[in-house]
Amino acid sequence: MSAPDTCVHCALPIPPADLVIDTINGEQLHFCCRGCQGVYRIISGAGLQNFYRQREWVEQGVPVGVFDTKFEENLLDGHVTTHDESSAEISLIIEGIRCASCVWLLEKLLSKEPGIASIRVNYGTHRALVRFNPQQTSPARIFTSIARLGYLPHPFTAGIAQQAALREQRSLLIRFGTAAFLSMQLMGFSLALYGGYFHGIDAGIRQMIQYFAAAVATPVVFYSGWPFLTGAWRSLKNRAPSMDMLITLGVLSAYCYSIYALCTDGEVYFDTAAMIITLILLGRLFEGTARNRSTSGIDKLLRLAPDSANRIEQEQIYTVASASLIPGDLILVRPGELIPVDCRIQDGETELDESTVTGEPMPVLRKPGDPVSAGTLNLSASVKLRVERVAAESFVARMARIVEEAQNRKAPIQSLADKLATLFVPVVTLVAAGTWLFWLTRDVPHAEALLNAVAVLIVACPCALGLATPTAILVASGNAAARGILFRGGDILEMTARIDLVAFDKTGTLTLGKPTVAKVLPAPGQSEEGLLRLASRVESGSNHPIAKAIVARAKAAGIVIEAAESVETVPGRGARMVGKTGEILVGSRPFLADKGIEIPAVSSGVLTEVYVSLAGSWCGVLLIQDPLRREAGEAVSCLQQMGLQTVLLSGDRLATAAEVTTRLAISDVLAELSPADKAAWVIDQQHSGHRVLMVGDGINDTPALSSADVGCAMAGGTDIALETSDLVLTRPNLHRLYEAVFIARKTMLVIKQNLFWAFAYNLVTIPMAASGNLAPVWAAVAMASSSLLVVNNSLRLGRLIRRTFSVAKQPASN
Amino acid sequence: MLQSIVILILLSLCIGTGAWLFFIWTVKRGDFDDVEGPKYRMLDDEEATSEQAPPPQGENHDK
Repeated sequence: MSAPDTCVHCALPIPPADLVIDTINGEQLHFCCRGCQGVYRIISGAGLQNFYRQREWVEQGVPVGVFDTKFEENLLDGHVTTHDESSAEISLIIEGIRCASCVWLLEKLLSKEPGIASIRVNYGTHRALVRFNPQQTSPARIFTSIARLGYLPHPFTAGIAQQAALREQRSLLIRFGTAAFLSMQLMGFSLALYGGYFHGIDAGIRQMIQYFAAAVATPVVFYSGWPFLTGAWRSLKNRAPSMDMLITLGVLSAYCYSIYALCTDGEVYFDTAAMIITLILLGRLFEGTARNRSTSGIDKLLRLAPDSANRIEQEQIYTVASASLIPGDLILVRPGELIPVDCRIQDGETELDESTVTGEPMPVLRKPGDPVSAGTLNLSASVKLRVERVAAESFVARMARIVEEAQNRKAPIQSLADKLATLFVPVVTLVAAGTWLFWLTRDVPHAEALLNAVAVLIVACPCALGLATPTAILVASGNAAARGILFRGGDILEMTARIDLVAFDKTGTLTLGKPTVAKVLPAPGQSEEGLLRLASRVESGSNHPIAKAIVARAKAAGIVIEAAESVETVPGRGARMVGKTGEILVGSRPFLADKGIEIPAVSSGVLTEVYVSLAGSWCGVLLIQDPLRREAGEAVSCLQQMGLQTVLLSGDRLATAAEVTTRLAISDVLAELSPADKAAWVIDQQHSGHRVLMVGDGINDTPALSSADVGCAMAGGTDIALETSDLVLTRPNLHRLYEAVFIARKTMLVIKQNLFWAFAYNLVTIPMAASGNLAPVWAAVAMASSSLLVVNNSLRLGRLIRRTFSVAKQPASN
Repeated sequence: MLQSIVILILLSLCIGTGAWLFFIWTVKRGDFDDVEGPKYRMLDDEEATSEQAPPPQGENHDK
């Protein structure tokens, strides 16, 4: 449920001194304090333990170094919009928001700060708008208040694209609302007309109702239907038939025919025109909402590198904007700070968290002369760095550029309905033209020949066609979302169904991304417990992932860790402590060998070795490993059974990556790849005809995620990966990936069936219309029944998904 | 008969238009921009904080 070094209740790391162990229901549980223990007892006492299983904590802990982040007034001033002397506002994105309580806390506490008039945090996008009085407070003070709560604020100015997307969504909503409102009115009129058709109606009343129907249908066609009209005009200019064109063809011919019928006392079809537009707008609305969050990924990527840097000039340190650094400048980076631009180490050595670049969680030792990338985190010591590239050229900026290019390059996926439309539009136009010509040669009035041709156009665009795709996608994405699978739009669903190659990232995707102690090998004459006791004592104060793994293992073995005294850490090598019984060394083989300690050969394969010695004699070795996800093997073989090729793309050493592939039976492996390499490989595969799904979690995967046909990120990964992906698994379980592909394929099948039924309606009605025998009643009956058929078929998909996975779910989910 | 139908139809159109205008006003006001938040915010039983607080994005920068 939770790792042994974290509190069962709050899931935060437990400081060794505070550990509270309690046995509840025969299970030994670890808490970080009495408070958490008490709350756990209350919750479990009320029989609500399910809370701990159901909660989904996507992110853990607070951003590194957040509490003492400094904010520079002059850097923030550019983001403030001033209204008048006593009122101004600033937009920000707040990092670290996990749940509704975070939003609540931020709003409540900040609105009590002096000078803040109002704050509103958007739950979905984590954006906030703060109104404040610039005479009483300042942006930097607001930012500091937010940071003190453990959230990291970033100034944010909505990009032009984002504002446009928001306006788009709003206008779509208004168009749909208008169409829905008017169609409801229209429905009443149509019902009266249908009644009149069967039971007879006074001609005057009939005409009046028809006029009312025309009045409400006109805005639906020309206002609500405007996007379709312009879309059809565009595709007409490009000579590329599309769905829009088919819709417009049907709608306009129905509308124009009805206007004509209004003047000549015939039957009107305004309801057909309005209904097609309303239903298709509804479909688009559903697709639009899922897509809203995806644009901010690039913003977040660029924010990885800090805005300010400490420049050293003549032994003085100045805080300057990162953008003003030029190659050759000397800067100082303290522990806990991010590297602002690409540099080379001038002075000092330190360990860096380079997970942004490589995806590997293990820190890397960097010495003078080594290059370091922007966006990586300095862990252990202050270093002086020589700037190599300006901020706009740095690693983070380059990666943002790859992502942006990939997103721009990605052509919109042509949906199946659109593809059919390309075929169908010319055919329909030809049939209509043929009908007109045929009736011209017969001895009938011109008007009737034209009417028959128009009738063909009207029935060619059935409501069912508009419903075929959106209903299936709606049902599928709704059911998928309930299972923790989020498709960003219907086109992604269709694309997922067509995937034939799955590329995995290793760390954090196939593995847990969290090192653990795999084996404890004590030296002859030593006990496992003694070895762990020694190692954990030295490592207990460290934040190093390996140290945490050792401490966690010791606690799991029930060892009470003694407080460490004056531990000396040597970056990249190990740690040293002088205790009462002598000097304890914990670290790499050379670290111990340098002190003249003899160690026999240990074969550990690809695992990381941590050696321990006490008072000059070797005590044993701990093998550290990043374990595979439990469900990884099963998920991979399920995907392979579906006929998908699998590949592992890793930034890690080949040996480590190859070991994972053999254990999971993944067919291919590529190792030691940079983020750009991964993206290039994906593009390469696409050129050779593959449709690639990339699964990743790290910042280093974002270029590949955005290049792939479908980028898939798992919860627990970085925000940036989540936002540049098309498919999000909200539960970190690889089995959901298989489910996603399964659902997508089934959905495509249902869409095909739906389209078949929609067009089958045409097969019957087009000949009738062409022969001039289509009675309006038959048209209405056929239309209603084909629509019902399509909706029902889509609902069946929902039942199928629920049935397939509800049985399989129980064992897999916990 | 005819007259009463006309009156009723016009009346329904007027009521409908009222609802429609109200809907447009709410969209413009941004009430649909954050559809996730309100369900949590209503559980917050202290006095309402949002005295006319507008949504945190869009529109506001246009002016």
